[in-house]
Amino acid sequence: MVTIIDQFANLNIGYQTVTIGEVFISIIIIIAAIIIGRFISNKVKRQLHDVVSANNRELIVKSIYFAIIFAGLLIALPYLDLDLSGLLLAGGIFGIIIGFAGQNVFSNFISGIILIFERPIKIGDNIGIEDTLGTVEDIRILSTIIKTYDGIYTRIPNQTLFTANITNYVTNVARRFEYKIGIRYSDDAEKAMSVMWEIIKNHPFALKYPEPSIFVEDLGDNAVIISVRIWSPSLVWWDVRTELLWKIKKTIEENGIQIPFPQRTVWFPEGMKNDVIIKEKVKV
Amino acid sequence: MMMPTGQIRRRTLFFMPKYIICEVYPLLMYGAYAYPFNLKANGIIIDVKQKDRIFTYTRECNGEEFGIKLSAAGGRIIINPVEPVNLPKKITHFLEIGFDKIVMPPESYETYYLKFPVEIGVFYSSRNDISVIDIFSLSPHKYSLYGTPKGGSIVKYCYSEIYSSIPETDPLREGIIALNIINNEKEIIEISKVVFDSFGMKIFYDSENVTMSASMKILPKYEADTEFINAPLIPGSGKSIELYTAMNIPVVKRNFKMEWGY
Repeated sequence: MVTIIDQFANLNIGYQTVTIGEVFISIIIIIAAIIIGRFISNKVKRQLHDVVSANNRELIVKSIYFAIIFAGLLIALPYLDLDLSGLLLAGGIFGIIIGFAGQNVFSNFISGIILIFERPIKIGDNIGIEDTLGTVEDIRILSTIIKTYDGIYTRIPNQTLFTANITNYVTNVARRFEYKIGIRYSDDAEKAMSVMWEIIKNHPFALKYPEPSIFVEDLGDNAVIISVRIWSPSLVWWDVRTELLWKIKKTIEENGIQIPFPQRTVWFPEGMKNDVIIKEKVKV
Repeated sequence: MMMPTGQIRRRTLFFMPKYIICEVYPLLMYGAYAYPFNLKANGIIIDVKQKDRIFTYTRECNGEEFGIKLSAAGGRIIINPVEPVNLPKKITHFLEIGFDKIVMPPESYETYYLKFPVEIGVFYSSRNDISVIDIFSLSPHKYSLYGTPKGGSIVKYCYSEIYSSIPETDPLREGIIALNIINNEKEIIEISKVVFDSFGMKIFYDSENVTMSASMKILPKYEADTEFINAPLIPGSGKSIELYTAMNIPVVKRNFKMEWGY
């Protein structure tokens, strides 16, 4: 029985020295590549579901699928006595040309893949990259689209994004902001802090914990500087910041506390003499 | 508490044609109404008026006004307490109730009563569909962070006294939650807060109270698991329409694991 199977497996096909067994192995490799390709691409598809847009997801998934199929073919074809050296040579030369021509494209592509898996940013995040501040609209294979707060469409190559310092303002659910409010030396700083505390305590989005802190930070040239630090949900921090600043300004003024203008008192040694001269001129 | 001065029958007002003007017991505000109608209670005014073939829903509460047009083609208004995590802006679905620290012995369980702020939801219902048209509240709002800025959660925060029996409340402002704390651990524990996921909330109301029941199971490593119980604290209470049901939000997980301590 074993001999019959061996003979069948070693049976040559056509003029080539390819046996049925080798054909069978190559078919198995290709089928395995298809199965593995489908399995991995489905896994990747699920993983990327909330990470990248549908178009890019399909592109990535198909690239991975066909790359695995291609690898399977490269492994399977030598069993069919197909000489791939010519193909490899041609592919090598083609690869060098493409490599030189598409160096940046490839770099952006790899950066895009790494960004998708590392996930420093997500669609909808408020981010800052160098001088560009805005909301992430889309993360594509080669570039990332940001809508600036002015509503301007900005395309940033993924390579730039990958090497740049990214500030993500909403990765953490809460963030802190700070005011430095100057009051006159003649004003009661404790009363001012108490008024501020009450305003912050009554604001729904000035978080209860971590607690806000209010303290005299500096005795400045023109004012006593009170520092106010408030934690707020990242989603609404800008609204809270602008709303509270104006509310604090209005309320402390209602309580007779003033924010002073910068002022400097200058003393002239001959000040008295000048005053006398002016008075004499007035008399004349 | 104001006495009723007009005619109103809770849950029996469907398709009543005449315009109803009345002042009601606070809890009589909760229920289902065919429009037009008018309600006044504890500074809340709800009015649905008709002009030509368009109805206008208006609501006044705490000096804030809201209005929306309603179709004349059928439908009714349902008013009931909803999950208190929507105002002033929906940014979370977690509720934290802080209370004075309580010490519990090992392997023990105890039921305490806490108060929570009430938010009132107004739903438009037609045939088999329902939609939220308004949410308002008489209670103040405060938010907090449970856990760390990186891994924690933003929560709607309220402080409550801790009670051993059902306390008196103003049902348009506060509800009562019966919290069954189960300490199966072999250590003495100190609890000063409980956090819930509102997606599992089950709110009930009767003629005097808005209530919920929940359990808090103490876990090792300073963790706890909280879950709502789908049964009324006071027998005969009606069940509120849940916001996540009205919004067709599928709820998979009904419990919340307090990973950042209690």
